Amino acid sequence: MALTEARLVQYLRHKTGMEELDAKTTLFSDGTVDSVGMVDLIVFIESEAGFEIAQEDVTMDNFDTISRILALVASRAAE
Amino acid sequence: MNLANTAWELLAETQRIAVIDGSRHCTYAELEHRAAAVADWLVGRGIRRGDRVAIHLRKSLEQVVAMFAIWRAGAVAVDVSHQWTSAQLDYVLRDCGVKALVTDAKHARELGARGLPATLEAVLVVGDAPADPRMAPWADVPAEPRTDVVRVIDRDLAAIMYTSGSTGSPKGVMLSHQNLVLGARSVARYLAIRPDDRLLSLLPLCFDYGLNQLLTTTLVGAALVLQAIPMPSEIAKTIATHSVTGFAAVPPTWVQFIPYVAETGTRLPSLRYVTNSGGKIPHSVLELMPQALPGVDVVLMYGLTEAFRSTWLPPEKFAKKMGAMGQAIPNAECWVVDPDLGVCGPGQQGELVHRGALVSLGYWGRPEDTAAKIRPCPQLAHLIGDEPVVWSGDIVRIDDDGDFWFVGRRDGMIKCSGFRLSPTEVEEIAHASTLVAEVVAFGVQDDALGEAVHVAVTAARADAAVDIDALERYFRQHMPHYMVPRAIHVRAAMPRTASGKIDRPRVVADCQSG
Repeated sequence: MALTEARLVQYLRHKTGMEELDAKTTLFSDGTVDSVGMVDLIVFIESEAGFEIAQEDVTMDNFDTISRILALVASRAAE
Repeated sequence: MNLANTAWELLAETQRIAVIDGSRHCTYAELEHRAAAVADWLVGRGIRRGDRVAIHLRKSLEQVVAMFAIWRAGAVAVDVSHQWTSAQLDYVLRDCGVKALVTDAKHARELGARGLPATLEAVLVVGDAPADPRMAPWADVPAEPRTDVVRVIDRDLAAIMYTSGSTGSPKGVMLSHQNLVLGARSVARYLAIRPDDRLLSLLPLCFDYGLNQLLTTTLVGAALVLQAIPMPSEIAKTIATHSVTGFAAVPPTWVQFIPYVAETGTRLPSLRYVTNSGGKIPHSVLELMPQALPGVDVVLMYGLTEAFRSTWLPPEKFAKKMGAMGQAIPNAECWVVDPDLGVCGPGQQGELVHRGALVSLGYWGRPEDTAAKIRPCPQLAHLIGDEPVVWSGDIVRIDDDGDFWFVGRRDGMIKCSGFRLSPTEVEEIAHASTLVAEVVAFGVQDDALGEAVHVAVTAARADAAVDIDALERYFRQHMPHYMVPRAIHVRAAMPRTASGKIDRPRVVADCQSG
């Protein structure tokens, strides 16, 4: 299954209770997602995208917004 | 030597770096000056000795400044977890009659929209403040402090830390300046913290060990490097960038960080020691630690908020005793007692009790709960008479060397992600949703979290199924992240005991067998 923006927005709105959350909302730099939420998010992305995310890819550059996560997943899927 | 009696006096006026927050470096002299200015603002807004002042900020220099400002004003610091919901924040503000709050712009706006509690007279906002006479922006803090330090003594209340109790609502544990200062002295001594150390501050200040870490740092004049982002890659980057020498964390962090370091082959040569508190690290991760962090001392610690800090396992014992709690920290005494066995010895198990200067002043506004938690121990009467000790509620086993090993909780409390949760607290929120008829919350062993929260529920109406989606949504809106149940088990009915009460052990067993 492909990971879509709509699915990620829906998942994170559900998880954080933030209805206004969108693809540009910062997830980590302002504390919206904590360490427990981070683990769940990675599991969700892996199950949706169908491959594992390497630990070294879990960085602020790759994870701070939904847009960045989608860019990371797209580049890894192309490899 | 620092001879401080109060937390404020831990700050020495030097040009050494006290706090590093990203690209911001703050010396001790600057920290003292900034805190004095904020203290001035608080005094100007009518804050007096003993008044409660809450902080609701994410990890930042301003949070540290606010903490010392409160102590300089002779007031009591109440740090509220940034992860807590607005309902929980409001609960704390009302429970201990908070008179001033330091928070960020977003939370100030939300609070303004909800309405400020009557006792809350002043809100200092990091950023822009909403148009409300009781709220003021950080820019309102005077440039030069004009008032003196408000004198308190070491028996005075310094902080209130909210923790879950077995009866449901969070309780405020009252810590004196003596608790904080002697706790810092004890931990700084056994970790041998030095002025040239740089300690990574990932733990929140609302957690006793997180606050202790701030105070051990300032006691010895070392530097605290703030780490707000929990990602292993970011933690490793900060350790490398700032040559961090000491790192304290809880099991959920180690579960991610240690495999990350091992997998990526990350080397952290500046690191001298790491410490764990707030639960047991899974054995597989403990075994990986010496290899992931070669040459780094691993120190396992244990504490409960009511006694601030209690035991430690010296690093030289780690290889042989991975997972043990060790023995009492300097200047504290811990025993294991049992109603039948008396004071337990090697090979026996019982409840851990703690004695010494770190014993807290009890729970804010709850003398009965305090008397139940901190009371004389008949088994120790021959040694210490009627002196009250903290009854931990933790069952521990003593090995042949006298080291303690955690066995479990006496009262069914759930230890999740370093937080102590009462099942009642979870159940009350589930009931408030009106989506369920009966509910039982319990902890299930979990490698990442220590324990994960699960709930068993029955439908609110016999003719309709439980609306799982709505219930999950309700949980996420009304609970902090760590409390949200990881699994919801729907039962047709709850099994009963002979007296008609829900048979909790059977509910738990049924759910775990699928």
